[in-house]
Amino acid sequence: MLNILIIGNGQCGNRILDAINRDAFGTKSRFAKYLAHQKYKSNVQTIAINTAVNDLKEMSFTKAKDRIHTPHLHGVGANRNVGKHVFEDNKTLIMKNIQERGNFDVAFVITSASGGTGSSFTPMLIKELKQKCNYPIYAIVVLPFREEGTLYLQNAAFCLKDLRESGTDGIILADNQFLKQMGGNVESAYNGINDMIARRLLFLLDALDSEMMMVTDLGDFKTVMSGGAGIATIGFYEADSEMPIRAVIKKALSPEGLLFSTDAYQEASRSMIIIRGDRKYMSIDEVSSEVEKLSSSVGQVFKGIIVRNDELPQVLTVLTLESAVELEKLYAIAVEAINYEKKKKERVDSMKELDKAFSQIDGMDPSY
Amino acid sequence: MKHFGKTLTFISLAVLLLLISAGSASGKILFNDTLLEGDGFQINNYVIDVAEVFSEHGAATIYVFEGESATPTHDKFVSVGSSFKFTVEGEDVEVTLISIHSGIALRAKLLITVTDGSFINSKTLGEVKGGHKNAVFPKTPVLEITKTVDADSIMVGDVINVKVSVTNSGDGDAEKVLFSDPTSAKFVLQQTLISPSGQTVIKKGETRLIYAYSLKATEPGTFVLNPTTAIYSNSIGDDLPQASSNTPTIIVEDSSKKANLDVTLVVDKYTVDRRGNLQGTIRIKNIGESSASAVTVNLAVPTGLKYSGGDSAIEIISGVPTIYLESFGVQQEKEISFNLKAMDEGTYTLSTQNSYRFSDGINPTSQVASSTSVTNAIYVKKGKYDHLLEQPVYVYLAPLLVIGAVAGWLFYRHRQYKF
Ligand SMILES: Nc1nc2c(ncn2[C@@H]2O[C@H](COP(=O)(O)OP(=O)(O)O)[C@@H](O)[C@H]2O)c(=O)[nH]1
Ligand SMILES: [Mg+2]
Repeated sequence: MLNILIIGNGQCGNRILDAINRDAFGTKSRFAKYLAHQKYKSNVQTIAINTAVNDLKEMSFTKAKDRIHTPHLHGVGANRNVGKHVFEDNKTLIMKNIQERGNFDVAFVITSASGGTGSSFTPMLIKELKQKCNYPIYAIVVLPFREEGTLYLQNAAFCLKDLRESGTDGIILADNQFLKQMGGNVESAYNGINDMIARRLLFLLDALDSEMMMVTDLGDFKTVMSGGAGIATIGFYEADSEMPIRAVIKKALSPEGLLFSTDAYQEASRSMIIIRGDRKYMSIDEVSSEVEKLSSSVGQVFKGIIVRNDELPQVLTVLTLESAVELEKLYAIAVEAINYEKKKKERVDSMKELDKAFSQIDGMDPSY
Repeated sequence: MKHFGKTLTFISLAVLLLLISAGSASGKILFNDTLLEGDGFQINNYVIDVAEVFSEHGAATIYVFEGESATPTHDKFVSVGSSFKFTVEGEDVEVTLISIHSGIALRAKLLITVTDGSFINSKTLGEVKGGHKNAVFPKTPVLEITKTVDADSIMVGDVINVKVSVTNSGDGDAEKVLFSDPTSAKFVLQQTLISPSGQTVIKKGETRLIYAYSLKATEPGTFVLNPTTAIYSNSIGDDLPQASSNTPTIIVEDSSKKANLDVTLVVDKYTVDRRGNLQGTIRIKNIGESSASAVTVNLAVPTGLKYSGGDSAIEIISGVPTIYLESFGVQQEKEISFNLKAMDEGTYTLSTQNSYRFSDGINPTSQVASSTSVTNAIYVKKGKYDHLLEQPVYVYLAPLLVIGAVAGWLFYRHRQYKF
């Protein structure tokens, strides 16, 4: 049994963590926590950290003792610099809480890249953990809607940079912009996206702790994640009716199943495919031909099959990326955003010059 | 009268015309024979007298008398072959002088006819020797019987004196008078002082005491004495309507002194939950005039209620809560309480069977009286937690434990997730 730590930082991280904890109950009911037990195979510890107490209060499926409030009036806004200070102030408190929970086999830290708290806490936290612990730590990072503004784009760019430098064992991307297809209003889009992320992670955790026909384990996962440019994403598809396994694998690699826009056959460097379902769907030929197709363009493909009676076929793919066109595009606009923000700041500074001009006549009266 | 006279005239005229047109007298022949001078012929209250016969003239004087009046209503000098008419009770009587016979005694032959003779009393029809002065007319005696009592409100055992007298207020003697005086039930005839023996005659205008006797009242109540009746005839033997006396009403009051126990039975509430308790009270009061003895009150407890104790005055005798009081004076009162437990749902009434003895001051032996007292309906409803209690312990304990556990769990979880 694996010991797994999942941390959600900031509003986005908290909410996704809550979605994971809710889905772990195995029912979508609001009363799940009263009706069921979480069906984690592993020893899973979850921690939500936030500067904004309201975000923590909004959670309902994460135990109170698993919510850490690092007090700072009204959160940190979207200011990563303020966030970093707050983390610095609360570092001991947070580290103590985590370390009291013992040692882990793997940790995931979830955050949005563009906010204030999560995006500033996560790199620092990972850095801190990496120094004290020796288990792999992966960041699950949510990229902003592109229209959310220059400040968010700027934050996202710096956050990703900070993360790469934090010593994390991999960054798993989920892109709000890409997942916008979920539709509905922002709130329901958030919930839908959070749910997608939650299900993928839970599936992964379940798989890592399951008996598999073709071996994939945490070691393999680590191997996959260490490939490429340290950037990864996850694809998933669950058949809702009888469907050839080949088609399910394809779907899991298609935009419909992925969390981040990528052409797996073009950009992936390593991958892992986990197939789950009733034995009758597990046509080895089909699986092999699909996996071969992928491995011919991707270097290494790990595959695992989990037999679950009466389950429709489901496929999870983990892809590490060599290159990410989408990320480059993001950085392109982020640079624009950074320049824009810089100019604005200069403008504001020059306004202050204007203030100086005005202040010259402070205390004087006009004489006629 | 005038009018009546006119009518009569008219009728007579009409009849006359009728007779003329018919050519001869018609109707029933009452008499077609000779009458001696001085004799008469009676038709009910009328007497046709041949007053004087004039043989040489071939005529006769004929009088018609009505009743006892000595003055004739008709005084006719009739020639042989002639006739005259008069009216009796609406019918025409025609008298025709047929012939005159002379000899030692003078006689006249009369033909007397009547248009319809159905009204004629045969007892007063026929020849009257000596004529009108010897005729007997039917009279109507009227008997009035009066019954008097010397008291009309008495006590049981008291005696009243009854007197019955009769007065003949009619115009004739009452003959063959036969009295009858059935004694009223509820009374016993004590003594008879006067009573008629057989048939008697009550003369016109006579008043006579016919009965005198005394009666004893045997039981309380309001009673009407039977009437004394009389049947009688007039002098010619006609039966007259039965005469009846008045019927005095006698109120007979109870003279005995009784004990009268008023036993009331009440409970403190008439709607009770199953397993609930009721308090009952038996109130005994002697509202009579004599003290009671051997007072026994048996409390009948219906199934569904259970007697669960009471005052020391209540003893359980062969399963029945019983109160026994040796004696209970006039106006004495006693209140006895007891408790009941409602056992089963339903509607019940509680009752007591009461009995006691007393001496009434009349009868030498003591009297027994009994009564029953019943409460209003008592409703036993399902108790609040009855459905629980009806079940064995585990049946309600288990859900309670489950509810407790669930509540505990919910609270625990709520606390666990409340930030
Ligand atoms: N997928 C997803 N994105 C979110 C959610 N909440 C906020 N975000 C995104 O996160 C960014 C804002 O960061 P947030 O987590 O609110 O800031 P923080 O609380 O200061 O860390 C924006 O780009 C939002 O689109 C959420 O529940 N789900
Ligand atoms: Mg926010």
